[in-house]
Amino acid sequence: MRTLLAAAVLAVAACTGVPVLAAEPTPAPPKAYVYIGWPNDGQVVSAGKPIRVWFGLRNMGVAPKGVKFPNTGHHHLLIDTDAPGPGVEIPNDRNHLHFGAGETETTIELPPGKHTLQLVMADDRHITFDPSVQSKKITITVK
Amino acid sequence: MRKTMVLMLTAVVLQAVPVLARTPSPENAQVYFIWPSDGMVVHHAFWVRMGLRNMGVAPKGTDIAKTGHHHLLIDTDLPKNMDEPVPNDRNHLHFGAGETEARIELPPGPHTLQLLLADKDHVPHDPPIYSKKITVTVK
Repeated sequence: MRTLLAAAVLAVAACTGVPVLAAEPTPAPPKAYVYIGWPNDGQVVSAGKPIRVWFGLRNMGVAPKGVKFPNTGHHHLLIDTDAPGPGVEIPNDRNHLHFGAGETETTIELPPGKHTLQLVMADDRHITFDPSVQSKKITITVK
Repeated sequence: MRKTMVLMLTAVVLQAVPVLARTPSPENAQVYFIWPSDGMVVHHAFWVRMGLRNMGVAPKGTDIAKTGHHHLLIDTDLPKNMDEPVPNDRNHLHFGAGETEARIELPPGPHTLQLLLADKDHVPHDPPIYSKKITVTVK
């Protein structure tokens, strides 16, 4: 009965477009904490100048994509979009920047206006941890 | 003829290079302290935030170009022999799990801190990538 129920739930999930993953997501390292070291939430930055973004990470390490090493992952910077939640492969597009070479900072350029930034860690397969290791979403203004 | 000479010279030069060549440094790679800054007064326990530009962090043993892992040198100079692995003791902290921040505790007084990057085998790159040596005072 319970199996049937689980199967039914899965079927519903499949029908409603919720991604169902074959593999279990990597458990988040205990106390892992990712944050944007710079810029600050609410910061106003000058247009036409590259914005340096610092990736802060505590109680966890950085490893390039494809590297399986305990308690590590690589950074993703989400721009003007929401975090995908746990156990999901992070898309690779202009709103989701991947740092699969183990980078711990970057520079970005954004058009004038308000923008949101958020860091999300993912494992060697680009899949988010469970629970997701993600920073507070901050808002900056380019002008 | 000139080409042959150059080739021969190249062969001689190559033979003279030691067999165990160090990992080349990525162009413009730079390691630095995001925090604390030089001259800062800190509490006895504080976070050190390690900054890295134009290259990536990888745990020890990871053989991927343009990566390395951090080492924090406390109250000591850079190793004299950069062909050998960075020592592993209380003056040389290894961050072989890819850490980019560390909580350290130091006794009161002035202390020097310096970052040195090393490759998969804990050997500094060539040329070595290290930060400015900074001084902090623990109150």
